[in-house]
Amino acid sequence: MLKALSTRLLQHLISQNSWASNLLQPHAGKSLQINVSFISASLVILENGNLAMAGETNVADAKVTIPPSLLLRLLAKDEAANRQINIEGDTQLVAELAKVFSNMRWDYEDDLSNIIGDVPANKIGTYARDAANSVKETSVNLAEMLSEYWQEEMPLIAKKRHVEQFNAEVDTLGADVARFEKKLAKLTKSIKANLDNGLLKN
Amino acid sequence: MTTEHNPNQDGNQNTHFGFKTVAENEKAKKVGEVFHSVASKYDLMNDVMSAGLHRGWKRFAIEISGIKAGDKVLDIAGGSGDLSKLFAKKVGADGQVILTDINASMLAVGRDRMLDAGLSVPALQCDAEKLPFPDNHFDCVIVAFGLRNMTHKDKALAEMQRVLKVGGRLLVLEFSKVWQPLSKIYDVYSFKLLPFMGKILAKDAESYQYLAESIRMHPDQETLKQMMTDAGLSKVDYYNLAAGVVALHKGYKT
Repeated sequence: MLKALSTRLLQHLISQNSWASNLLQPHAGKSLQINVSFISASLVILENGNLAMAGETNVADAKVTIPPSLLLRLLAKDEAANRQINIEGDTQLVAELAKVFSNMRWDYEDDLSNIIGDVPANKIGTYARDAANSVKETSVNLAEMLSEYWQEEMPLIAKKRHVEQFNAEVDTLGADVARFEKKLAKLTKSIKANLDNGLLKN
Repeated sequence: MTTEHNPNQDGNQNTHFGFKTVAENEKAKKVGEVFHSVASKYDLMNDVMSAGLHRGWKRFAIEISGIKAGDKVLDIAGGSGDLSKLFAKKVGADGQVILTDINASMLAVGRDRMLDAGLSVPALQCDAEKLPFPDNHFDCVIVAFGLRNMTHKDKALAEMQRVLKVGGRLLVLEFSKVWQPLSKIYDVYSFKLLPFMGKILAKDAESYQYLAESIRMHPDQETLKQMMTDAGLSKVDYYNLAAGVVALHKGYKT
């Protein structure tokens, strides 16, 4: 039943964002599996450009694996984190779905207007937006105040540019280690070959 | 699974009719009698038996079909026409839905309901094992709660595959194998409560006893998936609904 409900929700969102079905239609019949830690979900693209949860025995055309350590960086919209998502299979399909999900918006006011009418729905929408903005502004002010205090007055947290620099250095180190491992493997292989041919002595 | 078709003493093939074994040429007639008997109260009984869930299962089948305006849809064993009605709205004036059933009584109920709903959907009495349509004609073929009543399921599936266009989808909505921990409760419900409700509501306990038995004789999820693959469909996948009480299978013609 969860699949049926999720499918209905996905299709409702697609119907509110009709541009998305045009993007997805060329990929009809293809499916994508998303793995985040131990949670896994499979989506399938239907012939009318709609999305549905895949069935019990679906074989995915593309797999996206997001390590749990990347989640916070992705939520913080760190571009370097995007490059570390592991994608296997049809990359074009993954790119198209990423585009759809990042631009999709839920028009809750429209949904509400079907139940309580246009005017009250618009009023509730306006109040909700004002409340959300006010909460957002207050939270940003508070966070800025605290971060300034913890960065300047009592250094407890790192500055953004330092974290980004650290992340970039970790990425570079990772790439260097990978290159070093490959060189080491190549060197070991060539030494072994020379030993086998008797060109070197033990 | 046991073989579905065995030769009898006269050299003719036997098949099952619920838990009974009957000659192949008698099954269609016997199934016809069952549905003739329940036709007028079929939807009411479905609502009572499934607590209204069958409507949700059918809507889910429509959502998964990927049908869009202008498509051609064939509703096999469509009976009372509830699926055809939903499909007709989806495909619009440029599309086409054809409602078929082997049983005249069921088809008459469906045809009348279509007309009452202001929909002009052609209703054809025909056998799913010999479909009177050209090859590569439909974008979607659906059979909901009908396949288990067919004598030669393999022939029927092959026919459905034949009339589909390349890229077209076959959807089979049918009772299936329930999740094991629930099987005892489901048995009590099907063999005790179901015939009792049939007796009270449709005054026909025997027909509902047949429905319960035919559900048990129907292939499980994986077997039906293999049968669809054998019929020439690809990328066959299924969804379990209500813990496997019902399964929706979908396969593509490629």
